[in-house]
Amino acid sequence: MTRTWLFCLSLAALISTPAFGEIGRIKSSSGVANIERGTEKLPAATGQELQPGDWLETGKDGRISLTFVDNTRFAVGPDSRIALTKFEYSPTTQKGSFVAKVERGTIAVVTGRITKTRCDPMPAEAHSCGMEIETPDGDVDPHGTRFIITVRK
Amino acid sequence: MRGRSIAIWAAFALAGCAHSSVVLLPDEDGGHGQIGIRPAGGQGGETVMADANSRATLGGSQPSVRPLGANGLKPNEAAVLASLPPPPRSFTLYFLEGTTQLTAESAGALEQIRAEVARRPGAEVQVTGHTDTVGSNADNDVLSRRRAEEIVNWLATKGFDRKMMSAVGRGERELKQPTADSVASAVNRRVEVLVR
Repeated sequence: MTRTWLFCLSLAALISTPAFGEIGRIKSSSGVANIERGTEKLPAATGQELQPGDWLETGKDGRISLTFVDNTRFAVGPDSRIALTKFEYSPTTQKGSFVAKVERGTIAVVTGRITKTRCDPMPAEAHSCGMEIETPDGDVDPHGTRFIITVRK
Repeated sequence: MRGRSIAIWAAFALAGCAHSSVVLLPDEDGGHGQIGIRPAGGQGGETVMADANSRATLGGSQPSVRPLGANGLKPNEAAVLASLPPPPRSFTLYFLEGTTQLTAESAGALEQIRAEVARRPGAEVQVTGHTDTVGSNADNDVLSRRRAEEIVNWLATKGFDRKMMSAVGRGERELKQPTADSVASAVNRRVEVLVR
């Protein structure tokens, strides 16, 4: 009986990871590469967990690559500033909503489970395909794909 | 003063040379999706990029979409594309009936999983356990979690941090091969291991 309880407790501990609020992780970075979280500035080190509201910031020689829990992948180029404004995802239903903002710089994206491949008929309103990327020059609404955004300032 | 000079410089840069743009690429498996673009400020309708290897120039009231052409990607775009993390890889392992013991074949595949985790910097491992429909739902919830936990435990013995791994059980809710209740199925007795 005690064994069973211990087993259940250890299981609960296992299930509760990854920590609440984690939406993705840094896979690699180079040069000047930081995460801005509120007033904190964290180095974008390999394995660093990401939270909604984080900003990714790179310097002239900086790069960051990262993955999200829905399998979305980002690569951020030099001299970029990108916000992970909103990220909600249920692993059970595999549905969610993702809003990012590219203030400046270059980003390559491979969409994940949040972004549906088929939005038929074409969506008339924002977020109907799951993901939206805002830029100062217009909003980008991917329908399941691989793409690159460059924002010049 | 400083703010104004930056603003003037930015306006000059924007008008003078480069534009913001979106490039739609083929998917890694060869197909491709689409991209809708709405101009800033909520004015005007959505422009749709429907063809792979096309570029939309942003900034005007209506984005202009053209084929990528012979010049292809700009060097900075090619570099950022090359630094994307590899796609996640998934493995399926099978178990002997009613146990957390792997089939001989699946036990042999564990090493492949270990190698995959080892070669990815900042790897994450998600293990999801399943059962067939023999036994009660409650028992199968526990068994499926124990199957998942078994794999996480094994990876932990290979030196991987438990903080990068998770184990969940889905019982008999997600059958690979749909069956009636109380049907033994080797295909359904499995864990799915996602390495990201």
